[in-house]
Amino acid sequence: MMRNDALERDFDRLLSANGPALARLARSYTNTISDRDDLLQEIALAAWQALRRFRGECSERTFLFRIAHNRAIAHLARTRSQFAETGVEVDVPAPGLDPESEVSREQRADRLRRAVQRLPVPYREAITLALEDLDYAEIAAVLGTSESNVGARLTRARRMLRESLEEKK
Amino acid sequence: MTVDAELENWRRDWQTADAVPLDLRKSVERQTRAMRLGILGDVLVTVVMGGGTTWWTVSSRQPDVALLAAATWGFIVVAWAFGLAVNAGRWEPSALDTKAFLDLSISRCRARLATVKFSAGLAVCEMVFGLVWVYRHVPEPPPVLRWLFFSSIPIDFVWLFAAAFSVLLLWYRRKKKSELDYLLQVRQESV
Repeated sequence: MMRNDALERDFDRLLSANGPALARLARSYTNTISDRDDLLQEIALAAWQALRRFRGECSERTFLFRIAHNRAIAHLARTRSQFAETGVEVDVPAPGLDPESEVSREQRADRLRRAVQRLPVPYREAITLALEDLDYAEIAAVLGTSESNVGARLTRARRMLRESLEEKK
Repeated sequence: MTVDAELENWRRDWQTADAVPLDLRKSVERQTRAMRLGILGDVLVTVVMGGGTTWWTVSSRQPDVALLAAATWGFIVVAWAFGLAVNAGRWEPSALDTKAFLDLSISRCRARLATVKFSAGLAVCEMVFGLVWVYRHVPEPPPVLRWLFFSSIPIDFVWLFAAAFSVLLLWYRRKKKSELDYLLQVRQESV
């Protein structure tokens, strides 16, 4: 078993290196910043508990994303009834934004995030990982499925995303 | 647009969001505040030491005191020059993304390690000059070694202070080296 200080150091390093990616993943499964922060806390806690048992069977990134993904799905299942009542966040254009003008990267990112949030969960799972630069094998390892299944999900997810983004233009 | 270009564009846009981890951003902000406080400290030392020795020179009109004031100003100028040079370009990140924040933290760590070396060197120079200056003013001075180690309580305090300062520098250097190793590892894994 790893010593506690070495474990803490590994944990801090892992979260620092992957913090932004985890925040984006959590954001795509939640509706508000405070929900995202709650989910991030859950992910951090689960990662801390699981790190003791990590034996290097996969890359640290895959290991962390698998935990994050599992926590996100559990979070989604818990809040599903709430989702059904409130529906997905309404996509309101930013005030003062001229549709003719070129949108900034932050606005494009926001539009993309909203479009990803509207995807059905199986496609959302695959595309959020692909957007974080995970390859097919890594995504398959995180989701516990085959690479061909990942390929099919990504193809469909991208088509739906494209259509969704086109609609919003 | 090709399919891969489309995915690459989405990736760029996607990874723009939540670009900087909160702890990294807070740590950089904390360092910036410490750097500002450091400048205030330098101003205080300049006013007290530089102003004090200048005032003493003016009031005593002795060449030896003027030499002490000149040396003090010399040390102050060297310290300011180093301080300004080591902080140059390290006040804020070049961009608002993780890489820029990490690069800045690493660069600041290296600057602090350089500061440790500089401080040790400057402290030795100041101590040597100060001791020589005091020794020259001792009436009927004993041999140097006896004077340095067995002559008076104030000189013993100088050694005590030097020892404490050395321990502090060594501790700080170790802390910063460990921080630098950690940041370099994080950067390597973030690439």
